[in-house]
Amino acid sequence: MNSLVLRTAARFLLPLLLVFSVVLLLQGHNEPGGGFVGGLVSASAFTLYAVAFGRDAALRAVGINLQVLAGLGVTIAILSGVPALVLSEPFLTGHWATVPIPGIGDVKIGTPLLFDIGVYCTVWGVALIMVLNLAEE
Amino acid sequence: MIAEAALILIALSVAVCVIRLAIGPTLPDRVVALDLAVTLCVGAIALLCLKAGRPTMLVVGIVLALIMFLGTAAFAQYIERRARR
Amino acid sequence: MNLLLVLPILIPLTAAALGLTAWKRPGLQRSISVAGAMALLVASVMLLAATNRGDVLATQMGGWEAPYGITIVADILSSIMVLLNAIIGLAVVIYSLGALDPQREAFGFHPLVHALLAAVSGAFLTGDLFNLYVWFEVMLMSSFVLLTMGSGRAQLEGAIKYVALNLVSSALFLAAVGLLYGATGTLNMAHLAERIGSADPRATTLIAMLFMVAFGIKAAAFPFFFWLPASYHTPPPVVSALFAGLLTKVGVYALIRTFTLCFTGDMAFTHEVILWIAGFTMLSGVLGAAVQSEFRRILSFHIVSQIGYMLMGLGMAGVALAAAESADESTAVALRGAAALALTGSIFYVMHHIIVKTNLFLVSGIVQRLFGTGDLDRVGGIWRTRPVLSIMFLVPAMSLAGIPILSGFWAKLTLVRAGLLAESWWIVAVALFVSLLTLFSMTKIWGEAFWNAMPPGREDPTATVRSDRGLRIMMTVVMLLGAVTLAIGFAAQPVFDLAGRAAKQLLSPGVYADAVLGGRQSSIPPVDADGGAP
Repeated sequence: MNSLVLRTAARFLLPLLLVFSVVLLLQGHNEPGGGFVGGLVSASAFTLYAVAFGRDAALRAVGINLQVLAGLGVTIAILSGVPALVLSEPFLTGHWATVPIPGIGDVKIGTPLLFDIGVYCTVWGVALIMVLNLAEE
Repeated sequence: MIAEAALILIALSVAVCVIRLAIGPTLPDRVVALDLAVTLCVGAIALLCLKAGRPTMLVVGIVLALIMFLGTAAFAQYIERRARR
Repeated sequence: MNLLLVLPILIPLTAAALGLTAWKRPGLQRSISVAGAMALLVASVMLLAATNRGDVLATQMGGWEAPYGITIVADILSSIMVLLNAIIGLAVVIYSLGALDPQREAFGFHPLVHALLAAVSGAFLTGDLFNLYVWFEVMLMSSFVLLTMGSGRAQLEGAIKYVALNLVSSALFLAAVGLLYGATGTLNMAHLAERIGSADPRATTLIAMLFMVAFGIKAAAFPFFFWLPASYHTPPPVVSALFAGLLTKVGVYALIRTFTLCFTGDMAFTHEVILWIAGFTMLSGVLGAAVQSEFRRILSFHIVSQIGYMLMGLGMAGVALAAAESADESTAVALRGAAALALTGSIFYVMHHIIVKTNLFLVSGIVQRLFGTGDLDRVGGIWRTRPVLSIMFLVPAMSLAGIPILSGFWAKLTLVRAGLLAESWWIVAVALFVSLLTLFSMTKIWGEAFWNAMPPGREDPTATVRSDRGLRIMMTVVMLLGAVTLAIGFAAQPVFDLAGRAAKQLLSPGVYADAVLGGRQSSIPPVDADGGAP
């Protein structure tokens, strides 16, 4: 679609939505949000981009093959359960570490976050595959 | 009190939108009605957060506001393509 | 120990993920796929070895205690089903190396198959009804993509019928899950078994019926079976073979699990309904097959009729148990024995059926490869040109019909014996009648495709098809599955004992509940039931 308004808006909305999807991902542990919703929001960000600039431009903007993205997501999610297996605890048992990051303070990082990141990537990839394939018809 | 009043007004407005959505008569009418209804829902969510005194649901409102644009744009594209055929 | 429980889900899931990341490299994808399927087989054999003696293994995902967390639990039945899943997975993956066109392979066949295998394993191993729903959805999604892959028009039409009815089933399932949670406050199956007794019996019976319909659609039971013959003959044969072996059996498993563990409050009613459904399913499937003249369509209708046999065992078991409650001491013991035997028959039937059905579909794939069609009017004379293939068809086909010594005979014999003990005369009559019709149907395929010469005026296209590498791979898989069928037939006693132990475990749900809920005092009295030997 050849609309200046849409193109300009899409260019601004893409980073905004992406930042927001990450916010959703991170706050998902204690508040509404999480990997699934975050992934959907980032998928819709790129869908918007595809509406404005076309499918191929959106694929270039993602920068990685969508199937590979989804596969990496599942792999990350599975890996997040492995520490628990190594410690012979039930699969996916959460483990947390506090990492001091200069300027921000102590940040708690754990396997549930890793799991959510995996879900985020999977949903992002799969949802985009579906939408862009439908748009192709 | 004010929040309740505003919510009632929003509910009425959504009802009007739904009527437009139902009777049409053209597709653009319906798209605009849907767009407006979602905007009103964002307002309603903000008001409900105000009433509950908790900001948790604001996130939902923000997501809805951002995504809604996508739906309208996609519909616009669809209408344009259909007109071209 | 808990590693063993998650491996059957984890291995195919990892294989799917790695397969996706190797998207543009079909060679690597193939190796990952085969390696994953082999690892799954090893893991599931180990799982069965661990549960074989009657221990129920359970682990709580993420360490959240039951009934709040997601429980993964394996008893003998679950382990058997996971093992069958692994066998079919491996067979299909290897067969696909010879059978599948590169275009479909590039569309993600291998990752999708592994996603499906992971979902099926998950459904067999989960101890939580909502989690079961999630696995059903994963299964539906990956199977839908497999079904539409390479989308011809007929293929899409079948796929839409498939997905529409399965979505209805999912919606019913979800509604039933919600109602059940409202009525009992839990969705953990072991916890449910303890608590459902204190809920309103009318409500629970209603919810049980909802589950029955939802699972019945998945299992392609009467009257919601028509999605199956409408869709299974359209995709590539290797995909139909996978579906034919696994998908409906997940529905059957869900029925067996929930209607022996949770919904046992009003067995005189619910299991009587299951028995009627079983009878009608058998009849409608086999009658539907009688009018078809395409290889895979006939086989599809036979899946439906076979589902009837599996449900028949479940229904008879419930009815017998319900009757035992009001009977005097000695009759009650006999009836409980009949119930155990009936469940044994069901489980034996599932084991035999999954192997045989997949094999028949794989044979149909070879025939289609040779002749370019599965239409029986345009196929003939295989016996003269390819006697080995003909025998490879004959073994599973005769087993399906229940010819003595083959695996299907023992399965049917067990069910019939249980039916006679439980005095369910009419269902036994139906089962025998349907068995005859199945034999008729199989001889029809045999006659037209294998024994009779090609119809006059048609050239035999097989003369020009050379035995290439692909065909040899396909033949090898078919032979191996045929060998499994023969093994089940000749070594019926150990297999029967295994099924018997699984059935006995199903009839004493206290063990299952104890394993899941961590040995808390269980309120469920075990049912004393001993199955006889054949």
